Amino acid sequence: MTDTTISQEDFLKFREFFYRKTGIQFEDSKRYFVDKRLIERIEATGSANFRNYFITLRFEASGEELQTLTNLMTVNETYFFREEYQFKSLVTSILPEVTAHKKDFRPIRIWSVPSSSGEEAYSIAMYLLEYWPGINTWDVEIISSDIDTKIISQARRGFYSPRSVQKLPPHLLKKYFRPENDGYQMSDDLRQAVEFTRVNLMVPADVRGYRGFDVIFCRNLLIYFDDLSRRQAADTFYDALNPGGFLCLGHSESMSRISSLYKVRKFADSVVYQKAQEAQ
Amino acid sequence: MALVKQQPSETVGQEERKRGRDRDDLELQLSDPSPSARRWAVRDLAECPDSSAILVAHLHQEMDSSVREIILTALTQLGDEHAVAGLVECLRSEDVFLRNEAIEAMKMLPDEVAPIMGTLLADSDPDVRIFAVNVLESLRHERVEEWLKEVIEHDPHINVCATAVDLLGEVGTSYSREALEGLNVRFPDEPYISFATSLALKRICSI
Amino acid sequence: MKRILIIDDAATVRMYHRSILEGAGYQVDEAVNGIEAMEKSLQEPFDLYIVDINMPKQDGYGFLSELRSRDISQAPALMVSTEGASNDRTRAYAAGANLYLVKPVKPDQLLIHCRLLLGEVHP
Repeated sequence: MTDTTISQEDFLKFREFFYRKTGIQFEDSKRYFVDKRLIERIEATGSANFRNYFITLRFEASGEELQTLTNLMTVNETYFFREEYQFKSLVTSILPEVTAHKKDFRPIRIWSVPSSSGEEAYSIAMYLLEYWPGINTWDVEIISSDIDTKIISQARRGFYSPRSVQKLPPHLLKKYFRPENDGYQMSDDLRQAVEFTRVNLMVPADVRGYRGFDVIFCRNLLIYFDDLSRRQAADTFYDALNPGGFLCLGHSESMSRISSLYKVRKFADSVVYQKAQEAQ
Repeated sequence: MALVKQQPSETVGQEERKRGRDRDDLELQLSDPSPSARRWAVRDLAECPDSSAILVAHLHQEMDSSVREIILTALTQLGDEHAVAGLVECLRSEDVFLRNEAIEAMKMLPDEVAPIMGTLLADSDPDVRIFAVNVLESLRHERVEEWLKEVIEHDPHINVCATAVDLLGEVGTSYSREALEGLNVRFPDEPYISFATSLALKRICSI
Repeated sequence: MKRILIIDDAATVRMYHRSILEGAGYQVDEAVNGIEAMEKSLQEPFDLYIVDINMPKQDGYGFLSELRSRDISQAPALMVSTEGASNDRTRAYAAGANLYLVKPVKPDQLLIHCRLLLGEVHP
């Protein structure tokens, strides 16, 4: 089947719907990219045309097709220093504000979720060691969690493909990794810097103990949740944060369709979400 | 100083909870002075059956917006008759936040809201009818288009019809074509209505 | 070119206002609620806001009060709502609106008020 077409009106209608559901907005210039993926799903689901497929997408109770399509429309691969501008904001703006408000010298706590294979949490660790002078004054705990125990073991092991490390500056690759077989083995020091735990964000008993965080990274996860799960996750993060704590989402994600609990802040190139300083 | 790890048992805080977690204890905790304790009580109540009525009652006296938001999440999660009735009540509230959050919550409860949709669309308050049309947006129900068509054929209030036309642009089929054309006759000289209906008609014709 | 942000949860209303304003040569951006409008306002300045009242997550009042109290923008704001009730009007002005109009707004009415608020014409 190669005769499936997406008309201009179909595209506009889809674009509005997708924007409302996910907050992701496609410019006109993305038309080819969007059409191609839509046609791929129309054919894979055996829908006769755009119209039938759109009905499935809108009305399917499980929301499964919307999730599949979202996966296809977003590139979700994890690698070291992905969305690096946010780590920059962490060391230049977020942590200085956190430390300025801290009333004691207990460690600063950072939560990275989902951990996936560990690239994000280890990137934060490296960034703090390399680019944050405050590391000489403050202790920092980095905790990273995932629902999948297999991926957690992989994260603890610290062995990565060349593709995972390709965005790392060469001097950091050299400093923290050694080439091994077809990839790179992370040094034990860095591996020891992050604590990995298993957690299901949707289970109150799992998340009850997660408290007292100053910064939470949750990037490119909520776009894959349904509306209610997103709200529950936003509520969970709110209780896990200290007053004045920050939540960082992925660059195509926004809290605007999920929760009104957070204040929007902007540092350099990143929009981040903050729990009110006076919140209890 | 450095990157540190606590003992594994300390990574995740130990429970500091003083009181129990059965329904009566939780209900008492809803009057705890700390919003954080109240949020946890709400969250735990969401796991207890038959706690919707307690949560609805508390919603109207709760002043802290973070607790109110969590109550609305909990009511959505519970989604029983009491929860839905409590949400409908919020549609009449003077409080804009409560009204709009109730609409959002009801959008997530299509099966539970569908049986009362006819009544909501016939409400005497045009605002409640607008909110009902807003709820229809996410309702996965076979009658959605029929309800919308009835609204644009009969509702006397221009903004209720305008809200319905907005949604017909997304879900409408040729079934609604005549009704959309008829709306222009019911509200002549209203540039917004003619803009909205021609947009909806264009989308209907394209499929 | 003057930049206007339209904040409304109804897609058709955004498109309608956009078509009128773009037709008159303004540059237009859109947001579906107050939080998204805040995200956009923090990234780039706008010369005028057109704000609906009833929106999910953060309504028009909440958005305008925050915009003013955090001093993110003092640009004029035109509030539009389905309600003609006088307490809505009072609340709109208290939140920091410069003008309140009842929907639906006619094209020439929208344009003249935008021009007035932008100081392009004088009463």
